[in-house]
Amino acid sequence: MRNKLAAIAILSAAVAATSAQAEDIRIGVIAGFSGPGTSYGIGIRQGAEMAVKEINAEGGINGRKLELVVVDDGSNPGQSVTAMQRLINDKVDLIVGGWGSSQVLAAMEPAERAGMPYVVVGASNPRITTEKNKWTFRVLQSDTLQAEEVADIAVHRLGLKRIAVIHDANDYGVSNRESFVARMKKLGVNPVEVQVYQTTDKDFTAQLTRIRASNPDGLAIFGTIPAAPAIMNQAREIGIKAQFLGTTGIANENLITLAPKASEGTIFATMFHEDVDPDARKWSDRYVKEFSGGSQPPRPVLAAWEYRAIKFIVAPCLKKAGTDKDKFRSCLTTWKGRIFGLPDEAYFNKTNHLVQQSVIVQVGGGEFRAYKGDK
Amino acid sequence: METTGSVGMLLQILIGGIATGSIYAVVGLGFTLLYRAMKMVNFAQGHVFMAGTFLGLIIANRFALPAIPLLLIVMVLAFLIGVVLERIVFRRLYHDHDVFIVGAIGLGIVLMNTVRVFFPEPVPFPKVFGERLVEFGGARFQEAYLWVIGCTVVLVALLHSFFTYTRHGRAMRAVASDAEIAGTVGVNVPRAIAHIFGLTFAVAAGAGVLIGPLYFVSFDMGDMVGLKAFAAAVLGGINSVPGTILGGIAIGLLENLAGTYISSAYKDLVAFVILLAMLVFRPNGLLGTSTPVKV
Repeated sequence: MRNKLAAIAILSAAVAATSAQAEDIRIGVIAGFSGPGTSYGIGIRQGAEMAVKEINAEGGINGRKLELVVVDDGSNPGQSVTAMQRLINDKVDLIVGGWGSSQVLAAMEPAERAGMPYVVVGASNPRITTEKNKWTFRVLQSDTLQAEEVADIAVHRLGLKRIAVIHDANDYGVSNRESFVARMKKLGVNPVEVQVYQTTDKDFTAQLTRIRASNPDGLAIFGTIPAAPAIMNQAREIGIKAQFLGTTGIANENLITLAPKASEGTIFATMFHEDVDPDARKWSDRYVKEFSGGSQPPRPVLAAWEYRAIKFIVAPCLKKAGTDKDKFRSCLTTWKGRIFGLPDEAYFNKTNHLVQQSVIVQVGGGEFRAYKGDK
Repeated sequence: METTGSVGMLLQILIGGIATGSIYAVVGLGFTLLYRAMKMVNFAQGHVFMAGTFLGLIIANRFALPAIPLLLIVMVLAFLIGVVLERIVFRRLYHDHDVFIVGAIGLGIVLMNTVRVFFPEPVPFPKVFGERLVEFGGARFQEAYLWVIGCTVVLVALLHSFFTYTRHGRAMRAVASDAEIAGTVGVNVPRAIAHIFGLTFAVAAGAGVLIGPLYFVSFDMGDMVGLKAFAAAVLGGINSVPGTILGGIAIGLLENLAGTYISSAYKDLVAFVILLAMLVFRPNGLLGTSTPVKV
């Protein structure tokens, strides 16, 4: 009898110990780990891994460890709905990720319905953050501002007169083309040619031949990897000498690997550059060191927002508000803070969109350099 | 910049179209060869094409081989892999067309995901056909385009002479027209079928090496090419070798022309509209002949 009692005592002590040792906080990460978005997805995953590792090494959040639940959406809007549904059924506490405007626009619907906090790090279509999204937040600059900024540079600083546009037929490409062309028209310049392509296209001879016939001095490419570098290579091959322009779609180090010569000189708006401030440089060096040597090279541009979103926005709010979804959401809406790589204090506006300036870079000597404004 | 009129533009489109069309044709030949012999369709053909590209990539990255030896090595290796796969897997699936199709789709998925483990992202292929640009009549293109077209012509000529003039080739044709009778007159039927299978792998892999230097290579590049090659085979007549060549080049040209002069958004549609129209109105294809059902 005494033995039995002792056993019960030990058991209940064990049960008490497990319940006292709080459950992990589970963060869902959704992005393309296959399909055309793969090289972006990998950067996002690396950023998440790095942030979670660092937070856990410091003891987690209020004694709870962070755990990542990573799902692949195949860079496909249809699959991204399924992937989101999986994370919701899996009862993760929140989601940080999302790459590709079409994918995010599709996946945010189930997230909104389920009341799942969703911090988007890789989609720039303005329709993501309107007045309607309650649970979806975005830390990335939207297309409108980026495309307008690039149009200003093209017309004012570079003095380009004959600008052609080629864009992906998806939500990212179309909204960039709209904002870019509208801004150019305001500046008194009409595009000499506008061509469209599908994300998975490989051969752009048809579109580029039309563009060549329009004799452009600038070519804005609103697309992603691998189509954008393929367009650059093929454009140079058939003799287009125009200055290439772009926005965050091409902000991916793989651009230089895939179009080493053709991408040289390209000017585009990006979401992160290590030379903006010393802390950004420190982080980037640490990140590159940690992820070098694997089968996939490090991609600071993609990892930066995922890392910063978890470390500087999500983690403090989890600490303050816990995993209760309503409390966590309201913490995000009032969040304010400094993040490396951004010049000013950042905050979410009333559409849950992080207000910030974009960073302009130029490809030079095989790397992204902060754009100084000289040609 | 040189002035390029509408003639230069048309020429650019035509050359690009013939080059991509050649690839559809060569990959499509794999469908045709197997269909003639077995009345079976191997839907992994596009993925074999992709795997051939990566085989070429691995070899080319390790040894600085000129184009022709690289092509030959890849094709021989692909032939052997095809023969081995036939022996251990596909021979067991011939009894039922449905089972065979599922098996082929399975092979495609296995190939794609194996390559994906090692190459999750698109990678550039070494420029084995040189980086020179050829220019004439206002059209400018990589020398590799000419290689693609030239190699297709040579490959088709070789295949044709193999089937017409060699004993082994004629034996394969005998198996294709009637395996049972070919067997009774002394043809080793299982071996001939295995070799046909190997041949379909070899042509697909060869096409993979040809297209590699033109674009980036990625594990999912075989999907669309496989489907378009199938459309090419159906357009020309799936049991006709010249028909498939014609079909491939026609689709390559038409999609490029439609992409330029109608709308690039509908470029991919061309092949599949043709495929549907052919299946409805002329299921035997342009040059194909209907095979009467044997009783």
